[in-house]
Amino acid sequence: MESTKSNPTLSQDGFWSRLRSGLARVPVIGWLAGGLCAVMVEYFLGDALSYYLGLPKIPVLFGFVTMLKKPLLIPSSTAYVILVYLIPLVAVGLLTAGPANRLAAFLHRRALWLSAIIHLVLLYTIIHIWSDISDYRLLLLKLTMIAIMLTLSINVINGYMGEFSCSHPGFMALGAYSASTMTLILFTNDKLFGPALLPPALGPYCYPLALIFGGVVAALGALVVAIPSFRTRGDYLAIISLAFMFIVKSVIENLEFVGGPRGMGSQPNWSNLPTVFVWTVLCVWVINNFVRSTMGKALNAVRDNEMAADAMTVDTRKTKIVTFMFGAFWAGVAGGLFAHVLRYVNPGTFGIQKLAEILAMVYFGGLNSVVGSVVGAVSINLLSEMLRPLELFKWIVIPLLLILVMIYRPTGLIAFREFDVRKILRPKQ
Amino acid sequence: MEFFLQNLVNALQWGSFYALIALGYSMVYSILMLFNFAHGDIFMVGSYIGLGIATLLLGLGVSAGWAMPGWLVLILTIIISMFLTAFVGILVERIGYRPLRDAPRASAAITGLMIGIILETGNLALLGARRMSFPPLIKSVTYDFGGVFVTNKKILIVLVSLGLMYALHNFIQRTKWGMAMRAMSYDYLAVPLMGVSLNVIAPMTFAIGSGLASAAGILYGLAYPVLDPYMGILLGWKAFVAAILGGRGSILGAALAGFLLGFIEIFVAMIFPSTLRDLIAYSIILLILTFRPYGFFGQAHSTQLRL
Amino acid sequence: MPLLQVRNMTHYFGGLRAVHNFNLVIEPGEIKGLIGPNGAGKTTIFNLITGIHTPTEGQIELEGQSLIGLKPHQVASRGLGRTFQNMLLWRHMNVLEHVKMAQYSQLDYGLLDAFFGTPRLQREEERVTREAMRLLELFDVAKYAEHLVGNLPYGAQRRVEMARAMATKPKILFLDEPTAGMTPEELVQMIGIIRQVHKDFGVAIFLIEHRLKFVMELCQSIQTLVFGEVIAEGPPEEIQNNPKVVEAYLGKEDIT
Repeated sequence: MESTKSNPTLSQDGFWSRLRSGLARVPVIGWLAGGLCAVMVEYFLGDALSYYLGLPKIPVLFGFVTMLKKPLLIPSSTAYVILVYLIPLVAVGLLTAGPANRLAAFLHRRALWLSAIIHLVLLYTIIHIWSDISDYRLLLLKLTMIAIMLTLSINVINGYMGEFSCSHPGFMALGAYSASTMTLILFTNDKLFGPALLPPALGPYCYPLALIFGGVVAALGALVVAIPSFRTRGDYLAIISLAFMFIVKSVIENLEFVGGPRGMGSQPNWSNLPTVFVWTVLCVWVINNFVRSTMGKALNAVRDNEMAADAMTVDTRKTKIVTFMFGAFWAGVAGGLFAHVLRYVNPGTFGIQKLAEILAMVYFGGLNSVVGSVVGAVSINLLSEMLRPLELFKWIVIPLLLILVMIYRPTGLIAFREFDVRKILRPKQ
Repeated sequence: MEFFLQNLVNALQWGSFYALIALGYSMVYSILMLFNFAHGDIFMVGSYIGLGIATLLLGLGVSAGWAMPGWLVLILTIIISMFLTAFVGILVERIGYRPLRDAPRASAAITGLMIGIILETGNLALLGARRMSFPPLIKSVTYDFGGVFVTNKKILIVLVSLGLMYALHNFIQRTKWGMAMRAMSYDYLAVPLMGVSLNVIAPMTFAIGSGLASAAGILYGLAYPVLDPYMGILLGWKAFVAAILGGRGSILGAALAGFLLGFIEIFVAMIFPSTLRDLIAYSIILLILTFRPYGFFGQAHSTQLRL
Repeated sequence: MPLLQVRNMTHYFGGLRAVHNFNLVIEPGEIKGLIGPNGAGKTTIFNLITGIHTPTEGQIELEGQSLIGLKPHQVASRGLGRTFQNMLLWRHMNVLEHVKMAQYSQLDYGLLDAFFGTPRLQREEERVTREAMRLLELFDVAKYAEHLVGNLPYGAQRRVEMARAMATKPKILFLDEPTAGMTPEELVQMIGIIRQVHKDFGVAIFLIEHRLKFVMELCQSIQTLVFGEVIAEGPPEEIQNNPKVVEAYLGKEDIT
């Protein structure tokens, strides 16, 4: 439950409290405008600014990497972040608060979808301009969005439904290999499958079909796990799904026609930023719709007390199987996107390490929460990139952080939070 | 037939590793109803501690001008590293599990996984990425039993493992701590009311499990003298599966299933190409679990994940 | 035709006979009670009829149709609502969601509607919410609609559970110790609520209870169960004075 923070504070004269109450009045669309300004400033003035500040090039990730690598550059990196991001963001946010609120109110009265699309277009423009600075940013963004899909889809199973599934890397592998096989056979001339069967020009249009195909294969894999697993309660699923993950990895290693342990490469470059963005938005939207509907709330009922759910006419077995397949579907789609982002996959990618990474993201962000999953995926991904200069110690810092989160908030940072688009987009005045 | 017997010996050896590690998983599960996912990495740490102790003892011997016999170094190494690794286990319990005793069990699983990563990375950071080799403490002698070749190391490994399991059995059956553990595995909420604290029993369980894992690590180092920081992942997860197969929380089941898994793997590799080993082994396990969801000796607990 | 008829129901747990030759007839609109000492098999009978266990022998019919072999959720959808001895509320769901959830089988939309938030879904959700609010008001817990159940006073939790059970649109309502853990005032309230449910919804009620006063006041007919067997059946006054009941269940003490 979010409360409106727009209580008029007349008597406060401190700069900070005025700033705070001012910031509280900025609606989401105002922040997006600020963000747009910030990335535009960086796009046009970033090179010059970093030159004058003595930075070798534009700091790629808000200056963190530069700071950790060369502590001498901390002041100039900080200055860069303040000048390029903070000041435009806050200034534009504050200055446009009035019109932005009127716009938000106008959109609020109109259809929700229109408002949502306008916000999303703005958001996309921001990340597009931001990622235009370097290929590294582009890759990081795509991988982060794929991580969001993975985290959210496992949250449906581990958080909303309260089971403990370990087979997400397996589903991802199924999706990655199925989608890649389809695009490689049909639309690409390559070593593995020979010449394309269909004109490659059609490819980008059929790419969504390949992704859906990957998702469906993953969902069928989930059915294989689900049928024996949901007969008994408890951590049984955890074990079956773990074994399933190992089996998938091992099957792929032994399938020579998809490259065996050497992996599979030269997928067409169709996972561009808009494609990944659209699929991520679709995934968040569909999952959020589902978990907010009464049908989706049945997951919570099954988790909190299955016997009561059954007595209240909920078909618990069907609910569990369908949900498990639903989660696997999105993991498969994410896998397909992943394969076409890296344009190379091998079975070793989809092992215990991937599982630990996905579990870390979902438990860090928070169970039973769409926002939590987004936050978890983004923060673990950004963190692991920002801490790259620490090299090995990165893998001590991040696990330690997660242990602390588990000790102080066992269900994650933002657990059990509803994600209501209408409330988020509403005007703040 | 000789071929079969030869493989049987190998299977017994592998089974010993799995069984010793699986015991640790099962013991912790029987007390706390959750798996210690850092256990595979404790095995790795135990192996490295063993390496360190053995090198130290050999070095001491050389500098003192009296080279200790290999068997003495081995015995001392096993005993000292079991103790030291036990402390690692206690530490893991203290950091990763005790603060989360009232939290959902899934959260404790996550801390376990994360501690495992920390142990692996810590090892890499301390010792670097190069693989280290375990000193050959005893000279390898091969006996020929009518065409079946058995090395003295294999006999030693199997005997030491069986000895340790027997010791564990006695500990659990005869001592008051063992009795408390057994009672706690029936009902871990009631036993603290009887004056036995979970804060004593839980670390003790972790300590014993870690000690056994360390012994497994040293024996593994004797047989396969190349150690690397990720060895715990390979053996640990398989031993975990063995613990499940034996029946969650069942000590006897874990030991037997450890040996069974060794047999399955070796004989699969005997008949099929070795790349299919994992695939077939896990499929067999999946099949067994489909028909016996609680493993060989497990009881149906109502273990709902609490949120 | 009786609403619910159970004939010669017998059930074994392993080798242990939990219920022996149990018979039950409930007419529409009737309130029937089942009493008996702890461990007599009362809750087992509930679980057998509601499909959690399948009886070893015997017939169960709701409006002439057999319930044997149906899953609990199917039995519930056929019109057999129930409450639980320890309530079994869902701790992470709010009161309104509880009552909406119980209308699961009445939801007229499919998975795809749920995924894409179609107008059909929105219409259905609104309908279900209206119905839920109506029930919450009837049970006087509407003011807690947005609260998590764990934060409610005990009596209110009981009422939420009743509302949840009524949301499944039962023809017959099974109440498993509805007054367990209640104060005397709450108990009086509960009698009122059950009477109200009986009157407003016209459902038949079958209840297990420990507090005799409560059963005597509400029920038109009472069965007494001892070691899985019915030893006496009849209207309250008869049961009260039946020497077998007094001996087996109540001992020598005064029953009031």
